[in-house]
Amino acid sequence: MRFHILKQSEKEQIENLLKRQFGITKIPGILLTQTSEKIFLFQGEFNEKQIKKLSETALIEKIGIYFAKIIEDKQKEKHIRLSIEATQVLKNQITKNIFELNKEQAEKWMMGQELYIKTGKKCFLIMKYKDDFLGTGKASEEKIGNYIPKTRRLKSKSLVK
Amino acid sequence: MKQRKIPELKPLFKERMQNLLSKNDYKKYLEILKILPVKSIRCNTLKISIERLKEKLKAKNWEFSQPFKEHSEIIIIKSELEPGELGRSLEHVLGYYYIQEIASMLPVLVLNPKENELILDLCSAPGSKTTQIAAKIKNTGTIIANEVSLGRIKILASNTERCGVTNVIITKKDGAKLCKRLKESNLKFDKILLDAPCSGEGTLRSSYRTYKMWNINTIKQMSRIQKRLFEAAFEILKPQGEIVYSTCTHAPEENEEIVNFALEKFKDSIKIEKINLPVKTRQGILKWRDKEYSEDVKFACRIYPQDNNTEGFFIAKFKKTK
Repeated sequence: MRFHILKQSEKEQIENLLKRQFGITKIPGILLTQTSEKIFLFQGEFNEKQIKKLSETALIEKIGIYFAKIIEDKQKEKHIRLSIEATQVLKNQITKNIFELNKEQAEKWMMGQELYIKTGKKCFLIMKYKDDFLGTGKASEEKIGNYIPKTRRLKSKSLVK
Repeated sequence: MKQRKIPELKPLFKERMQNLLSKNDYKKYLEILKILPVKSIRCNTLKISIERLKEKLKAKNWEFSQPFKEHSEIIIIKSELEPGELGRSLEHVLGYYYIQEIASMLPVLVLNPKENELILDLCSAPGSKTTQIAAKIKNTGTIIANEVSLGRIKILASNTERCGVTNVIITKKDGAKLCKRLKESNLKFDKILLDAPCSGEGTLRSSYRTYKMWNINTIKQMSRIQKRLFEAAFEILKPQGEIVYSTCTHAPEENEEIVNFALEKFKDSIKIEKINLPVKTRQGILKWRDKEYSEDVKFACRIYPQDNNTEGFFIAKFKKTK
C-alpha cells in the first residue's frame, strides 16, 4: 500500500483544524495518508527515509493507527473527524466541543446508534462517558451522528457500567 | 473446576506424549485437558493504568486475581461469565485489555523488550504479542510486525488499532523472504520474536480443532519451515541482539530440534540464554527418538498445561555474540 508522509506544512494545517474544532495544539508523531482522506498517526522512531526503504523491501499494509478523516462541507470548508484512538491519544489536549454522555446515551452511542439530542451546535463533537473517550460525533439540529465502526460496536445494552 | 468431555486423542499423539512425560505426568496431562482453560486478560497499559482497569472490573462485579506480582498487568478473571462476554465489554472494545492465554504472554516476558529498541515480530498475527511488546516499550522504538496471510493481517491490524499501538509498521511477506530482503537493505534489529507457525499441540484445551487436525506430517513440514525462518531471522540481528523462538506445541521436532539446529548452524556467533519465568518450566529434552541434541538445548523451556493450568508452550532465547 502506498503511503504519503505529510510535510510539516500539511501537518500544521491539520493542527489548525484540531485547534479550531477541539482546542488541540500539538500532534505527537508523524502523520501519513493512505487514501486522500484517511490520516494515520505513527509514533515510532523510523523516519521518512527508513519507512521508504522498508516499503521497497516489503509490502507495507499499515503504519501506526487510523487517526482522523478530513471532510469537506458544501461550502468547501474542511473539518476533521477523529477516530476513537485519536480522541484517546489527544484526550489531555481536548478543551472544547466535548459532549458528556450519560450511561444510557453511552450505551446507545457504543451500539452505533444516532443520538436524538439537540445540542445547539452544528459541528463535530468529542464523545465522552466518565473518563472514557468514545470517538467523534457530528451534531446537527436534531441529533448527533454516529461514526463508531461496526467492529467496535457493543452488541447489547447494560454493558456500560 | 468444571470437567468436560473431550475428543479422542490420536494413537500416535498419545504415544508421543507418553514418551515425553512420566506415567504420572501423562495422567495429569490428560486430566487437565478435560478442564476448560482459565480466562486471562492482559491490561493494555498503553491505554489505561492497571489500577484504573481494576476499578472498572470491580464495577462490573467481576472477580479477578493477579497471579504474578512482577507482572501485575496479567489478570485472571475468576467470575463465571456468559460465553463471549469478555470480548463484548466496553473495556475490551475500547482496548483497555487484551484477551490472551497466560502461556502466550510468556515469550514477550522472555524477550524483555526495552524502550527505543527496534523489534521484529516475524509471524505476528493475530497481534497478541505485538500489542504486548508495544505496551512493554510504551509505544517507543519501532515494531515491524510481519504476517504472510492477508486474512490474518486484517485481524492483526484491527488488534493493534484497538490497542492504540502507534509505533508499529505492519508488513506482508513470507517471513524468511522478508528477512533476506532486510539483510540486503542492511536493516538489523535489537530484538526479534519468532513465534513460529506450529502444529499447535499446546492449544488442545481451547481448540477442539487441534485434536482433528493433528498429523505427524504437519510436524515434519512445520519443522522445515521453522528452521528456514530461524536461519533467516538470526542473520538480521544486531551483534548482542536477542531472538526468542517460541511455539505452542510439544513436538520436539518443532522445538529442541530447531534449537539444536540454531546452535549448530551459528555455532561461532550464538549463545543460548537461561530463562527465568514466573511459572513452572521444564528443561528442553536432550534426546528424542533416534536424535540427540546439544547439551545447551536444556536451557530451552517446556511449559506443560498440567504444571500451571495454562496451555502448552516452548520458549528458547538466544543472543548473537558477534
